[in-house]
Amino acid sequence: MTDARDQAVDEDVESFRIRARAWIEANLPDRDHPGDDDRALQALLFDSGFAGIAFPREYGGAGLTLAHQKVFYDEVRAAHRWAPCGMPWQVSIGMMAPTILDHGSEELKRRHLPRMLRGEETWMQLLSEPRGGSDLAGATTRLTRDGDTYVLNGAKMWSSGAHTCDFGLCLARTDWDAPKHRGLSMIAVPLHDTPGLVLEVIRAVDGNPGHFCQEFFDDVVVPVENLVGEENSGWAVAQSLLFHERNATGGAGYGYGLQNARPTNRQAQRSADGVIATAKQRGVGGDPVLRQLMAESYIEYTASRFANDRIAAGMRTGQFKGPWGSLLKLHLGALSSRHAKIGLAVGGADGVIWEGDAKVGGVAGEAWLSARGIAIAGGTNEIQRNIVSERLLGLPREPSPDRDLPFSEVVRNQHR
Amino acid sequence: MKLELTADQEFFRETTRKFLESESPLTAVRQRWDSPDGFDRGWWRAAADLGWTSLLVPEQLGGGTLSGSPVADAVIVAEEMGRMVAPGPFVPVNVVASTLATWGSADQQALIAGLVSGDEVAAWAFAEPGRSWDADAVRLTLTVDGGDVVLAGRKAYVEAAAQAGHLLVTARADAGLTQVLLATDTAGLTVVPGRSIDIVRRYGSVVFDDVRLPGSALVGEVGGAEAAVERQLQIAVALQCAETVGAADRVFETTVEYAQDRYAFGRPIASFQALKHRIADMLQWLEFSKALSDAAAAAVDADATDGEAARLVSVAKAYIADHCLDIIDDCVQLNGGIGVTWEHDIHLYSRRAAVNRAVWGSPEEHKERVAALLEI
Repeated sequence: MTDARDQAVDEDVESFRIRARAWIEANLPDRDHPGDDDRALQALLFDSGFAGIAFPREYGGAGLTLAHQKVFYDEVRAAHRWAPCGMPWQVSIGMMAPTILDHGSEELKRRHLPRMLRGEETWMQLLSEPRGGSDLAGATTRLTRDGDTYVLNGAKMWSSGAHTCDFGLCLARTDWDAPKHRGLSMIAVPLHDTPGLVLEVIRAVDGNPGHFCQEFFDDVVVPVENLVGEENSGWAVAQSLLFHERNATGGAGYGYGLQNARPTNRQAQRSADGVIATAKQRGVGGDPVLRQLMAESYIEYTASRFANDRIAAGMRTGQFKGPWGSLLKLHLGALSSRHAKIGLAVGGADGVIWEGDAKVGGVAGEAWLSARGIAIAGGTNEIQRNIVSERLLGLPREPSPDRDLPFSEVVRNQHR
Repeated sequence: MKLELTADQEFFRETTRKFLESESPLTAVRQRWDSPDGFDRGWWRAAADLGWTSLLVPEQLGGGTLSGSPVADAVIVAEEMGRMVAPGPFVPVNVVASTLATWGSADQQALIAGLVSGDEVAAWAFAEPGRSWDADAVRLTLTVDGGDVVLAGRKAYVEAAAQAGHLLVTARADAGLTQVLLATDTAGLTVVPGRSIDIVRRYGSVVFDDVRLPGSALVGEVGGAEAAVERQLQIAVALQCAETVGAADRVFETTVEYAQDRYAFGRPIASFQALKHRIADMLQWLEFSKALSDAAAAAVDADATDGEAARLVSVAKAYIADHCLDIIDDCVQLNGGIGVTWEHDIHLYSRRAAVNRAVWGSPEEHKERVAALLEI
């Protein structure tokens, strides 16, 4: 059997571009009508040698470079075609697969990476816990070695898309006497039909099932070979995961092309377009104060569009070293409530009151209720500000009195 | 502040920066507070020699672009001028030279050589007392009388009005917006010199008491200046945005440095989360400002007809004038008491940013322009 990836051996970027362009035009669906089977499409990419373009060939990748990957997705976009992106692909292929590549055992890489790249398995992360999300290294989910297996106990929360994914990379504590960062391990937990695992979708503030889940682990048995990296070196794995997450969010690294065509901008554009449409509908478009506010929404959206390009370029060319994606996340998180407030201003009473007995209505009101979500998820605004000031500007780190204490002695909650 | 400059542009930025550091250090800027003109003619000629005034002029008229994107080239000077709050009639001279190159008669284009060499200074008289920076707000009347045209009315906030030998004037005729070029010693014309809170930037008012000019003073057709005026405004705003970004960039840089060196309560003040978080916000505003400034310049260079340049220029102005002013303002706070003294240089930047906020339209005016362009 011939391997589609053989054509890629030593292929320079421009020859690759020509080959990719022809393949894209012949095989990928129109961007506006992508169909509903992304998994099948991902399998097609894989079988044709265009999945995991920068992953090594022995793990199912095409064995090329990130520059080739960028070219492929640039061509997809230029041809107005669709390749799987957004959830779960951005996470599974853009963040989890490179983390496995960095830290996974040879066996783990050979077994799972091809399946991840082909879309047979989708992976996500289990990091935050009910007792805290920002202080990741303070995780209290317990992972205990029991002969040839591990046993997992505890709870994870705010895990995006866990209900649709096959595996979760779970950060858990293996040594309670070591300092907090040195007693953690990362382990891959199967999410379907796993005895002792209860997975619930969290009901969002709008009353509907959200895309966040919580998981309860009650003596969940996990094979030892699912450990990613060494026991007690889970923090290094988590750092690597977060690095790939920021890259993917910023549209760089292995996540290039896998982020929804600028999720930041789409969201902001929706709010800007939304308020303008509402103003026209309510006949308040002539109000000079509201016009200022609507223009502000559009201006911030436009700013994020160009800032996204700037930062992606800076990261790609190496001029921006470190987690510059945090700057985009900070803007998004800081602006969401402002956009929503402008929505409330333009929507007026119609934004929160409606006729009839429908329990949900008032678009502006609902948007406002949900707006804080993005300021909290994926690293709160406050955490992003720490990252920006410490890692982009090199300002002194926050003091952490718990850093060198045995974790069992760390004060976790003040009980009164 | 483009991340990827051509080799020529890199070299140009370097020479511009070196020139400003040696020939216009902040101590020299301060001394110019006493000077009526705000800049020295010989110094301006030296700046012109570096290419400051030739970028928007085509080669056949004695100019030339470095990269094929003249506004992006000129933005480099504007950014560096912002970083050093430099003097010099950079925006008006470039705007007038650009317009004469595109719409001027051969006679009028003869002025370009002097503008390019720095021997001549020209200004653009556009805004009017108490009115907005909008072409629709122009009321100065231009009446056609036989072969002559007659101007009556008043212009205000004209940068370098009293330093200029020539004025490009935007007026309103029955047929619509019309522009003329005239010498500042024309009979009936009075220039009222003025100052601004900027240390070196001079503004003036111009009174037109039935100023009679031959038809040859017209730049383009009577009633046909709308496109030229819009283009002038776009160039002016794009350059001004770059200058404001340069100013905020420098202030941010020095303030972050200061916050790391300054100790209180036994630790650098930059270690306090209350300040770190504000500094993080400032970096976000600054990077977004840089992205928008470059985007606006690129759109003006592209000169697309789909309204993209008009929209982006106003978006950039509204965002940058607001956020860069906030950056500088919060940096004053981070500097503490010294930040509100004459001795500390930060007020030089506050001054420039506050003037730039108003000139060529405030953020509020540009937001209204955005709303109108979006057909809200």
